[in-house]
Amino acid sequence: MITVKNLKKTFDDTPVLESINLEVKKGEVVCLVGASGSGKTTLLRCLNLLETPDEGSIRIGDKEVSFGEDKLSKKDIKDIRRYSGMVFQGFHLFPHMTLLENITQAPLTAKQQDKETIMKEASVLLEKVGLSEHQDKFPDALSGGQQQRAAIARALMMHPEVMLFDEPTSALDPQLVREVLKVIESLAKEGQTMVIVTHEMNFARRIADKAFFMDEGYILESGPAEQVLTDPKEDRTREFLALLEDE
Amino acid sequence: MFETFRNIRWEYLFDLELALDSLPFLLQGLQNTMIISLFSMVFALLLGIVIGIARMSKYAVLHLPARLYISFMRGTPLLVFVFILYYGLPVIGIEFNNALVAAIVGVSLNFAAYNAEVVRSAILSVPRGQWEAAATLQMDYFQTLRKIIIPQATRIALPPTFNIFMDVVKGTSLASVITVQELLYSARLVAGRTYDSMTMYISAALIYWMVCIVIGYFQDRLEVRYNRYLSK
Repeated sequence: MITVKNLKKTFDDTPVLESINLEVKKGEVVCLVGASGSGKTTLLRCLNLLETPDEGSIRIGDKEVSFGEDKLSKKDIKDIRRYSGMVFQGFHLFPHMTLLENITQAPLTAKQQDKETIMKEASVLLEKVGLSEHQDKFPDALSGGQQQRAAIARALMMHPEVMLFDEPTSALDPQLVREVLKVIESLAKEGQTMVIVTHEMNFARRIADKAFFMDEGYILESGPAEQVLTDPKEDRTREFLALLEDE
Repeated sequence: MFETFRNIRWEYLFDLELALDSLPFLLQGLQNTMIISLFSMVFALLLGIVIGIARMSKYAVLHLPARLYISFMRGTPLLVFVFILYYGLPVIGIEFNNALVAAIVGVSLNFAAYNAEVVRSAILSVPRGQWEAAATLQMDYFQTLRKIIIPQATRIALPPTFNIFMDVVKGTSLASVITVQELLYSARLVAGRTYDSMTMYISAALIYWMVCIVIGYFQDRLEVRYNRYLSK
């Protein structure tokens, strides 16, 4: 589903990603873990070209783009983005729209289906994330957990092959984390392909098939999530996990 | 100093009878004031949106002319610009057959620059995450601008835009110096005839004020509408 080869990215001469290689198969749940500044969010944002890598290539579904010589065309960017949906740390719901409008705006704009189908699907999805009774409220009137669940529904409305999660629970009050993780977990059970940047280690061990530990722009260790997140080979990974345990 | 105050002739401050008698004549002048104002608000706003968006473009062919335009218009007095249009252009063979049109053109072009800056700052104040969320939902630049950014930017732009609208109304008074018979011109005519400048100019000032109060009322209503999605 996703193949990343030799990806490299620098911000103003500071390297943030160095020779990144990774593969995600259809139906897999992959977690990116590591300290702040290790490059995991940047890597995730490269997968839908919110950041443009300097070198290397990314293939998602049937679309492959390489970086370096030529500037990316609008069409390349559009084609790549068609495969993924993104959930942000800060939700980024559209504040001037009700929840229902939030999740139907993009499909209605894209006009891939008729309005009736879209509305029907929206109500099914809102039910699924437990927000049916709030569908006519504005985001500002909802808790962070509710907003993030709505943001997940909004991304799912576009039928992405891959869901990208960028620290989906990091901006939430502790008591609201669970409700969001539950939604993500149910997606995992349905076989949704997902790439998740997270600090929730127990959650990652439970639902992820693979884990990538990132350190200073490199993927330092990768493998089955259970092994990488419980019994890592590298000292740095061990230190990082121990640090989280202390908290 | 105290002598000056002792000599104030309060009885001449405001001649209500003259004010009421001349009111119909002033209101006739107000018609032209409103014509220039309304046309200029619309043109300045539309032009301002285009120039403001051009100013933000990454393409030099768009943002450089926009910058130059904004710089010139903000950097020159409206009165001078109106003189250039009405007295200057005929010298090179371009003549407005109607001073009213010259006034509308002058006021519109000048205030468009201020509107452009308001539009730009309002759009920039919408968080980047909104653009990114729309991009990941496969919305293109203009779809995002129209559906996501402009509705939010409008809320932010309302107060400064209405400041400009009020400035437009007051700025139309400069049309009086290019012979447009608008509110101030009418007041001056009566003042010249009756020698009661105080009453006539106070009357004119009060009428301008009333117009701006009405504009402020529309501002309040729009602000309520555009703030409704925010919890108190």
